[in-house]
Amino acid sequence: MAGLSRRQWLQGSAAGLLVASTGKAWAQTKPDKLVLVCENSIPWKRTLLYEVAPAFEKANGIKVEFAMFPVDAWRARLKAELNARSTGIDLAMLSVQMGEWMAPHLLDHNEVVAKIMARDPAFAWNDFLDGSKTAGTYNGQLVGIPYRLTAQIVSYQKVLLQQAGFAQAPRTFAEFQKAALAVNSPPTRYGFGLMGKQGPATFTNVVSWMFSAGGRLLDVKTGEVFLDDGKAAVGLQFYADLFQKDKVVPPEAMTWEFDDIIAGAQKDRYAMTATFSSYGTLFNDPKISQTAGKWAFATLPGHTSKEQSRSLVDGQFMAISKYSKNQDWAMEFVRMACSKDLMLRSMEGGNSPPRASALRNPEMIAKFGWPSTAAEAIETGIPISQYAIWDGLEIALRTGVSETLLGQKTAKVALEGVANEWRRNLRRAGILKS
Amino acid sequence: MAAVGGSPRVRKLESALIYATLTGLVLAFLFPVIWVLGLSLKTRAQVFTSPPLYLWWPTFENYAAVLARSDFVRAFANTLIVSTSAVLLSLGVGAPAAYAFARFPFKGRSVLFFALLVMRMLPPIAVLVPMYLLFNKIGLATTRLSVVLAYTTFSLPLVVWVMRGYFEGLPVELEESASIDGASRFGALMYVILPLARPGLVAASILCLQLAWNDFLFSAVLTNNATQTLPVMMTAFSAGDSGMDWGGLTASGMLVILPVILFSFVAQRHLVAGLSSGAVKG
Amino acid sequence: MKTASLESWFDRYFVQATVLPTFLVMVCVFGLPLVFSFYLSFTGWGLEQPLFAGRFVGLANYDDVLSNSVFKKAIYITLGYTAATVAAQMLLGLGIALLLNVDLPGMRVFRTALIVPMMVTPIVGALCWKLLLDPSHGVFNQWIGEKIVWLGRTDTAIYAIWLVGVWQNTPYVTIILLAGLRSLPSEPIEAAAIDGAGRLAAFWFVTRPMLRPYILVALLLRTIFEFRAFDNIYAMTGGGPANSTMVLSMYTYLVTFVQFDFSIGAAAAWLMLLISLVLCVLFILVIRRREAL
Repeated sequence: MAGLSRRQWLQGSAAGLLVASTGKAWAQTKPDKLVLVCENSIPWKRTLLYEVAPAFEKANGIKVEFAMFPVDAWRARLKAELNARSTGIDLAMLSVQMGEWMAPHLLDHNEVVAKIMARDPAFAWNDFLDGSKTAGTYNGQLVGIPYRLTAQIVSYQKVLLQQAGFAQAPRTFAEFQKAALAVNSPPTRYGFGLMGKQGPATFTNVVSWMFSAGGRLLDVKTGEVFLDDGKAAVGLQFYADLFQKDKVVPPEAMTWEFDDIIAGAQKDRYAMTATFSSYGTLFNDPKISQTAGKWAFATLPGHTSKEQSRSLVDGQFMAISKYSKNQDWAMEFVRMACSKDLMLRSMEGGNSPPRASALRNPEMIAKFGWPSTAAEAIETGIPISQYAIWDGLEIALRTGVSETLLGQKTAKVALEGVANEWRRNLRRAGILKS
Repeated sequence: MAAVGGSPRVRKLESALIYATLTGLVLAFLFPVIWVLGLSLKTRAQVFTSPPLYLWWPTFENYAAVLARSDFVRAFANTLIVSTSAVLLSLGVGAPAAYAFARFPFKGRSVLFFALLVMRMLPPIAVLVPMYLLFNKIGLATTRLSVVLAYTTFSLPLVVWVMRGYFEGLPVELEESASIDGASRFGALMYVILPLARPGLVAASILCLQLAWNDFLFSAVLTNNATQTLPVMMTAFSAGDSGMDWGGLTASGMLVILPVILFSFVAQRHLVAGLSSGAVKG
Repeated sequence: MKTASLESWFDRYFVQATVLPTFLVMVCVFGLPLVFSFYLSFTGWGLEQPLFAGRFVGLANYDDVLSNSVFKKAIYITLGYTAATVAAQMLLGLGIALLLNVDLPGMRVFRTALIVPMMVTPIVGALCWKLLLDPSHGVFNQWIGEKIVWLGRTDTAIYAIWLVGVWQNTPYVTIILLAGLRSLPSEPIEAAAIDGAGRLAAFWFVTRPMLRPYILVALLLRTIFEFRAFDNIYAMTGGGPANSTMVLSMYTYLVTFVQFDFSIGAAAAWLMLLISLVLCVLFILVIRRREAL
């Protein structure tokens, strides 16, 4: 009993007596574990697994069980179990894209935040970037506490660009193209790396270019599609031309997905890329990267002026299930996991926390390089859609992008085809009326 | 004993040719596997050299790292349990049924057989989520039993199809002589037919094993971390966001194959046991 | 006394006792989900709704799938892929089985070795092949002296998938045929040899007809499996580039698990079943006609 305060012991035994006498525990007695459902990529969750959970267990005597699944199974399981109002899930990590269908099953986290702030003002809700709060708000309901927030930023090998005469990162598409051509030295090192494989990476890798050309996707509420208004096509064509016309992209980039682009940077296969902000940690990591320390970061160029630069914002949130019987304890876990200190520490594992204090922390900036750029990009960023219908629309977009990259169609024609497919889907879903 | 056509003795030149062809085939087929083995003995830096490395000092750090992971060991055990159970269940239920299909012209035989085939043709994806909902309702949702049952339903039509072929190929005199000796149908099946159908049984068991051992989709949805099998656990190595752990993936891949190779080595003796096991003629 | 009556009961109801368990398992575990999936394909249902709350939409889902150009393209790709892969697997598998059938010392090693590709976990195998086919540090390209991005070009991706499919599943055919060869009586072959038939003639006229049932089993099984091929495509190309390897299974998977539309996914899966059935019926008709000759 040494190590437990008198109060905790009394609380524990009082609860125990109650359980024993009534035969059932009421809602907020201490459970023996909390269940958190998440996706099974560990590294950026390292802090959660190896620091937060043990600390939580030590402080409260409650184990945290991480139910980790591959991405498609994670989504399917959450859908099935929450739909069945299962009490087996206390916490869930969800991505922005899951917002619409997860929202009915989760608490309104505005209230959760209020409670946490009342308990612990040092939690500093205003430290969280506004972009993260917008991304996590569906119909006025905050679906979870933001844990990870990524933007698409340009990573470039500073010295190579300087040697080619570019003292700073390109600010417009034209400059970017010139820079890529200048540092392009095939066959060992190319100018620009991209994720060309048709799959989950396709959309995230290209859409920021479309945004930065003034393009937009659609308005899900009204069903109005903007994809084929010509502006997005400019961004897509520029992106595809880098591969087809300018030939500054490694040919095997057509098979690249998340892991490959990281490996490509580490092996010095290309000099510039535009991808997830948090990848910068892996690019500059001396343990695994041949190009460690060489990468600098900047926000994406704009089409004709830097102000047009827009990035896609994506991320994951930690949320408490409405059906959980341990909501108070879950809240306590969230408070710990998303606290300033532990979120700062999570950057070591590769996380990109949505806190201004973390992203603007000088030590972290000095160490990793990208945090302040990410914060900048998030400020003007456009979050990925939270609507369920987007999942199907994205698949159609993947085809169009792939066709353009391979030169089968021009961006304009390809996006027109995608937009028509979108309208077909929207009509079938009853969103578009004619 | 059943030599490739012609005389019972294979001549020296032919032996040499056969050995040479087989060695070539083995090299061609096993090269990727050997490459995986090589990758598992390389450090991350060595994996990505260009041109690829053929000679290097092997390192066992990947194996050490993988074996130290409790989730790997647990997934390994789960895979063994699930696969063995599925194979045994499929054979136990399916082989007698196949025998009935082969030897007894009962009413509705072709219809039932065709029904089995049709069920096998439906893409499993279609039944995955309904199956999950079903198991959820009866409380089996995250257990190993759920995947065992799922795999059994994939394997049963397979076992029935394959074994029926083998049973049909056995001469009818076998049962006749068995019944003359006073054995019941059941006895005949157990003590006369099945031993002779060993090649078929082993073939069917290898096919069922492959199905259960390598399935990803059903295990991913129907299990959780405690009961997951290896293919699901191995996705943790290729988690997109932070770079693929080639060492971990290939080391675990090699470790996964080992029991199967062992099983094949042991089983192939029965695979090639022929009618010469002495039952037919005196 | 008791065991005798159990055995005689078993004898009398032998067919029922042996066939019933199979169908019990199939119907309970597979049949119910199958029927539910069929029902789903005629409704508009979402996972968030209660089980039977989907509204009836008739053939709308099927219409949707059939009018989708990606699905239509996938039919052609899948049929072509299936034909090419099965043909290669059958020919190669038969050849290897014939070789392995010979009784020479050390055959044990060869037999075990040639089963291995089939047992490699598809993810591991596919990723390994991805490395092997890599333009810069892939061994394959090194040998042929070119730098082809096999998985990144619409004209080569499907061949790469074909290659991996043949590599992985030829052992399947080998096992079935080898076991078949081993169950064949040796007298006819020996008799043919005594009659002076050459090796090839003996094979063609004696062994092959006896092996026919096993060949048909292997052919049918492989056709069904390759038509549904998924794991390799999922791991290597995800259906790309530009839908050039989008086989029907990949399409169904995307609709079911990424788009989360289970009703359309069910319709797509049942259409796949329909096409498989047609193939199967054609298959049986061809066999019957040949048997009649």
